[in-house]
Amino acid sequence: MLMNTFQELTDAVEKGNRKEAARLTQVLLDAGTAPLEIVESALVPAMSNVGEKFKNNQVFVPEMLIAARAMKEAMAIIQPLLTAAGIVPKYTAVIGTVQGDLHDIGKNLVAMMLKGANFNVIDVGINVPPEKFIAAARENNAQLVGLSALLTTTMPAMKTIVDAMRAAGLNNVKIMIGGAPITQQFANEIGADGYSPDAASAVDLAHKLVAA
Amino acid sequence: MNDLLSALAARPLLCDGAMGTQLLANGLHAGECGMLWNTEYPEIVSGVHEAYRRAGCNLVTTNTFEGSSFALARHGLDGRMAELNRAGAQNARQIAGDSGWVLGDIGPFGDFLEPLGDMTAEQLHTIYCAQAQALLEGGADALLVETMSDPAEVEVAVAAAKESGSLPIVTTYAFQKNGDTEFRTMMGTSVEEAMGRAIAAGAHIVGANCGTGLSFADYLELARQMVRLAGKTPVILQPNAGSPQMVGEKTVYCATPEEMAALVPALLQAGVRIIGGCCGTSPAHLAAMSCRL
Ligand code: B1M
Repeated sequence: MLMNTFQELTDAVEKGNRKEAARLTQVLLDAGTAPLEIVESALVPAMSNVGEKFKNNQVFVPEMLIAARAMKEAMAIIQPLLTAAGIVPKYTAVIGTVQGDLHDIGKNLVAMMLKGANFNVIDVGINVPPEKFIAAARENNAQLVGLSALLTTTMPAMKTIVDAMRAAGLNNVKIMIGGAPITQQFANEIGADGYSPDAASAVDLAHKLVAA
Repeated sequence: MNDLLSALAARPLLCDGAMGTQLLANGLHAGECGMLWNTEYPEIVSGVHEAYRRAGCNLVTTNTFEGSSFALARHGLDGRMAELNRAGAQNARQIAGDSGWVLGDIGPFGDFLEPLGDMTAEQLHTIYCAQAQALLEGGADALLVETMSDPAEVEVAVAAAKESGSLPIVTTYAFQKNGDTEFRTMMGTSVEEAMGRAIAAGAHIVGANCGTGLSFADYLELARQMVRLAGKTPVILQPNAGSPQMVGEKTVYCATPEEMAALVPALLQAGVRIIGGCCGTSPAHLAAMSCRL
């Protein structure tokens, strides 16, 4: 019975059905399900499914956005319970678009997917200078910093940030980069820890990096 | 309006190439609003237009891609929307002369329409009308609604362009590769839907610019599909100069002018009527392409 509800909630989030997502979340909670279990067994798989389909060009930006919104609806119910119980996500990621760059659609998708994978995500926004990445990583004890750039002209800013983070002694913080013009080769050249071509792969990479 | 369309019926035309990278080469810093240069350094912007004209381009595109008040607000410049668009059109008009056409550039507003985002179609219509108006006041001959992903946004922009004056309206989408011979925009829109909805909305010339991860072979295949789907409507294509590569501290586009020029005969044969360039193209690319037109 409850197993079905988990599956229904996963489906609702995947399809972006907000009302249904909220309703089923409440049903599970009322039945005594632990809030974290709802996150891990229903919501995370939903976002992961959508991300996988996105990666394989089966769904596109709109489907990602509406699924993320449905997840948010469910999390609005669950988050206060998690907070009250002192349950925090295992990993924290700081993510932003580098200095000089104002594009954020891709960055937002990556942030959504990381949230969907139950990372604590600190989104520092667009046009972010190195100091701000460093300060946010320190303040939040982040394990991961994600940099996004959409302009070939702002790609060099990624190197500046990588260098600045290393110079600031944040050697244990993993740096992941992405954006349309970015390549693995570029990531290697600037000493970033990893590159990912899309938002779903970004989650896989994030897991790999924080576990390393 | 029939001027451009009838010229096009007689012969294929060459549109210009990238503006942003040219301004950067002239000292614009990444992150600064290139549109500000329409009033601050109009001689540099005009210089780029002039270089493209000298390369043989029949159409020059105004430096106003980010010119909707919504996109300009990211730079805190929404208050100067009309002035910056008008100046952009004037810079191009002055160089295009009587034998060239000025395309007033309208780019994506930068967020999503309802229900995905907060913007309503009516709000966006007002925003695009204001930009279109300013571009026409500055002397644009036609409006170019470009780098689009969402056909709903195209419909709003084309309606606004129409309302602002009876000029030809050009509409281009940015496609990504979705399979061997399948292309879609980031919103998942197929070539068929993209062309169909632009034409139904009233665009007079339709096509594609930019794109993600497209090889020259992909551009050619895309061109064939667009020509087939556009029917009688003329097709425009503005490919990137390959994909960007990092060389030392600098990013460079890999396709040489000769490589891009080699694509021209095939595109013409496929039925494309306006050819131009997008990211990474320079006057040198367009000059080489001009020789093959
Ligand atoms: C941390 O780890 C990771 C991991 C993976 C990561 C990651 C981080 N970040 C991204 N990923 C990856 O995951 C995401 C999901 O799978 C993917 O993210 P993407 O961001 O690649 O993909 C998104 C889901 C969808 N893609 C996008 O959102 C970009 C779409 C296009 C159309 C685009 C848009 C929408 C805009 N633009 Co801009 N814009 C273009 C784009 C053309 C195109 N078709 O690509 C591009 C990128 N823009 C460009 C330019 C030049 C500019 N734009 C500008 C402005 C704008 C708008 C404001 C109008 C708007 C931005 C709105 C916004 N909220 O972001 C100006 C710059 C402003 C600035 N300083 O940043 C301006 C300079 C305008 C001008 N004068 O020409 C071109 C870049 C050329 C280049 N190669 O350098 C461009 C290719 C279009 C073009 N031909 O002009 C992956 O890359």
